[in-house]
Amino acid sequence: MTETGSWFERDPLWFKTAVFYEVHLRAFFDGNDDGSGDFRGINEKLDYLQWLGVDCVWLLPYYPSPLRDGGYDIADFYGINPDYGTVDDFRHFVDQAHQRGIRVIADLVMNHTSSDHPWFQASRTEPAGPYGDFYVWGDDDTRWGEARIIFIDTEPSNWTWDPVRGQYYWHRFFSHQPDLNYDNPEVQRHMLDVLRFWLDLGLDGFRLDAVPYLYERDGTNGENLPETHEFLRRVRAEVDANYADRVLLAEANQWPADVVEYFGDGDECHMAFHFPVMPRMFMAMRREDALPMVEILEQTPEIPDGAQWGLFLRNHDELTLEMVTDEERDYMYAEYAKDPRMKLNLGIRRRLAPLLDNGRDEIQLMHAILFSLPGSPVLYYGDEIGMGDNIFLGDRDGVRTPMQWTGDRNGGFSRADFQQLYLPPLMDPVYGFQAVNVEAQLRQPNSLLRWLHRLIALRKGHPVFGLGTYEALRPENPRIFAHVRTYQDDIVLCVHNVARSAQAVELDLSRWEGLIPEEMFGRTRFPRIGELPYLLTLAPRGFFWFQLRKEDGA
Amino acid sequence: MNGVSLVDFITSQRWYGSKTRAVSEASVVDRATLRDNLELELVEVVFDTGTHETYQLLTDDGGYDALADEEQARELLRLIRAGEALPAQDGQVQFAPVAGRAGAGDPRTARLIESEQSNTSVVFDDELILKVFRRLEAGINPELELLRFLTEAGFENIAQLAGWYAYVGLQMEATLGIAQHYIAGAEDGWERALDAIVARDDSFVETLRRLGGVTGQMHTVLGSNTADPNFCPEQTSAESLGLLTATVDEEIEAVFASLPEDVPELDPIRGRGEEVRERLRLLTNLGGAGRVIRHHGDFHLGQTLWDGKDWVLLDFEGEPARSLPERRRKRSPLRDVAGMLRSFAYAASAATALRGVSPGGWEERARQLFLEGYRETIDHNLVPSGAAMDKLLSVFELEKAVYELRYELNNRPDWVGIPVAGIARMLDEEVPV
Repeated sequence: MTETGSWFERDPLWFKTAVFYEVHLRAFFDGNDDGSGDFRGINEKLDYLQWLGVDCVWLLPYYPSPLRDGGYDIADFYGINPDYGTVDDFRHFVDQAHQRGIRVIADLVMNHTSSDHPWFQASRTEPAGPYGDFYVWGDDDTRWGEARIIFIDTEPSNWTWDPVRGQYYWHRFFSHQPDLNYDNPEVQRHMLDVLRFWLDLGLDGFRLDAVPYLYERDGTNGENLPETHEFLRRVRAEVDANYADRVLLAEANQWPADVVEYFGDGDECHMAFHFPVMPRMFMAMRREDALPMVEILEQTPEIPDGAQWGLFLRNHDELTLEMVTDEERDYMYAEYAKDPRMKLNLGIRRRLAPLLDNGRDEIQLMHAILFSLPGSPVLYYGDEIGMGDNIFLGDRDGVRTPMQWTGDRNGGFSRADFQQLYLPPLMDPVYGFQAVNVEAQLRQPNSLLRWLHRLIALRKGHPVFGLGTYEALRPENPRIFAHVRTYQDDIVLCVHNVARSAQAVELDLSRWEGLIPEEMFGRTRFPRIGELPYLLTLAPRGFFWFQLRKEDGA
Repeated sequence: MNGVSLVDFITSQRWYGSKTRAVSEASVVDRATLRDNLELELVEVVFDTGTHETYQLLTDDGGYDALADEEQARELLRLIRAGEALPAQDGQVQFAPVAGRAGAGDPRTARLIESEQSNTSVVFDDELILKVFRRLEAGINPELELLRFLTEAGFENIAQLAGWYAYVGLQMEATLGIAQHYIAGAEDGWERALDAIVARDDSFVETLRRLGGVTGQMHTVLGSNTADPNFCPEQTSAESLGLLTATVDEEIEAVFASLPEDVPELDPIRGRGEEVRERLRLLTNLGGAGRVIRHHGDFHLGQTLWDGKDWVLLDFEGEPARSLPERRRKRSPLRDVAGMLRSFAYAASAATALRGVSPGGWEERARQLFLEGYRETIDHNLVPSGAAMDKLLSVFELEKAVYELRYELNNRPDWVGIPVAGIARMLDEEVPV
């Protein structure tokens, strides 16, 4: 019997104040000594995740798959990749996580399947059969030429010839990932069944991968079509009707004005990633200028009350530069991808710490900014200890190396032989597991891990970060990124110095005259806010978060 | 019944655990007829926040509290002795006697014990005691699980298990009640310790060596079965010591950052937060954290009885504030040891505070004897060896003392001196090498 679900207070908006943690199962911990991470493994690390304070674990795809795209090429929506365990192992993990107050969401790819999926095999061999119309087939490989090619490094076209069926099939991603045909009601019905299957097992929601591309229409670029939103409304209605407190998180790598469409009128996805803010944070650090962040936040439309942005610094993909101008992209490549091996498609395949030259102040400042913005932060496994990458590994494997638990063999990730590991752990002198690991950082009171743990706890103690309004302050000093978050009586002032040098800034806080800024980490009281501009000095890459309190301490 | 609503009845009971929460409704989710005019009901209390708790009620036409009726209480024991299985609407209530221990026939007397917090207990003929769990959680109750295990393993220093009853059904599987041997005329360890300190009676402290020995034996037995996944000792994960260090370190930091200025009892440790953290770092410098096993979970003098000849260990439910899965989790046996050692500190101080007697060296003697006894019987594969064991034990003691410090500051300022003395003593001791 599953007990899943009875561990949480009912809270349909839990995701708005949550801290998410993205886990690549294969990379996290090997529970059965075969060289590859699995459900048993992550189960053993729940004490760690609970200590870290994350509210929700996001699992990359764990379905049976030929793994030509890290599992995003799903060959069976109802199973578990044998490397990771069984459906029982999955259920056990979700239950154990729930017992510790941690929710679990998982990736689901609705747009396409692996070409190994039985639906596709049936579709190509039996065009008149029940699955004949499950995919997008055509005789003309020039149709829908307005649709861009996403994986420009590997794919010459969105059409690929299938010699078996004697037709072209449509694919927005790799040619081994044929797009499902959502004009077929049977496809819609099947996908809803898939959603129900996992929700019934206790899953708390989905990250919906590649969601803008479900439909194709003549004369359009095939992204963000009305029909796609129509289907998402159907999905949301199904979830709302039968499953309490679940979340749908859209991966729509689009401009903010297009992404907000995925919230609908509060009747599509609960969350969507804010893609464009992330490259601009990196840009701001290099240029020592807060403007790129301020601008993109200004251009970000309001979202419905029950909706939330998902914010991240890095994830399992390349640092994507699709949502920047050509000029900005050139700048990013020049600054962050000096070695051509670091580039992939329209992005940079590196982890957070190497991107920031392993600068502790920079890593902390980026996290502080991330945690201060309106949205829910999504951490990527390993970044909490400042793991590095290996740009000599292919595709995106360089940022998917084994989690570094200890300084022991295989970084404590697996007891298997080194040769059996799915990827070699990092062993270089700077980022290797002997220098960077969980165990050592737990024991060092001043480690990045311990600092981040405090940051998470602080954020969770103040719902204002998840629920509050956002108001940019525009100080004259362009190197200062400052804003005020307000939720009910809780007013928080966040001031960040993106410059490499110490800075002074005068902030117009006259609206909060009479209040006392209290620094939130050390609970130190600063001088009372008066009529005159409020002067602050910040260390290089330093930041302050203040709670603005009344005189009596209320 | 009697005009009192189900909600009002449950929420006004001593054993009702969530008095501060707003209840939106209470309803019977399953029921079984135990005999004419005796019903067992599972009642779900739903809170405004969406979570719920489930409680066990025994009702008859006299009201919601049939256990108050001696005859009805006797029926429960009869059913256990008979090993009945009675149908509920969506499941079954199963009664199980332990062969040779449950006794037979009709109990003559049944006496309700009034003092209990979260359960209701009935003593039959001064021979058996039946603990009826009120708040039910899905899964086997750790008390039943541990008593059964210890009984089967032939561990004698417990009140032997005589039987139990449980619900198996769609709603949940849960232990409803446990019958144990009743130890008449025994005195609990806490009271005996206070009496002995006041009477300056050295014979009591000598029995603590035996208590240590019994505790070590209990742990050895609990860690002896490698075939049963619920009991098999496990290696701690590589970073578990790091997690422990980080957790305790942050507790220390937080408590010391907010010590009130106006409590003179804090003077021995005031301003010494960094020293305590440094001490923690030295103590956690050890090879490994030993193994984790099932253990008592809430071990202190109040959980022991002296039956005139030997110690009896009681109450294997674990810390009541923790969830059932958490109480069933394996942890280091040295946490139990640390709990008992801290309990000695409280006994020594309570003797002074409550009875005006200064115990002079009693705590040190008690610690020494208890640990001597423990070392003689504990399976050394379960704990780190040599100085590492002393260090790990000190870490758990420090963790407890810091927790006590926070608790006493918030709840019982008069008792703050006890954890303060404990922390100060650790700072003055040599780090084991």
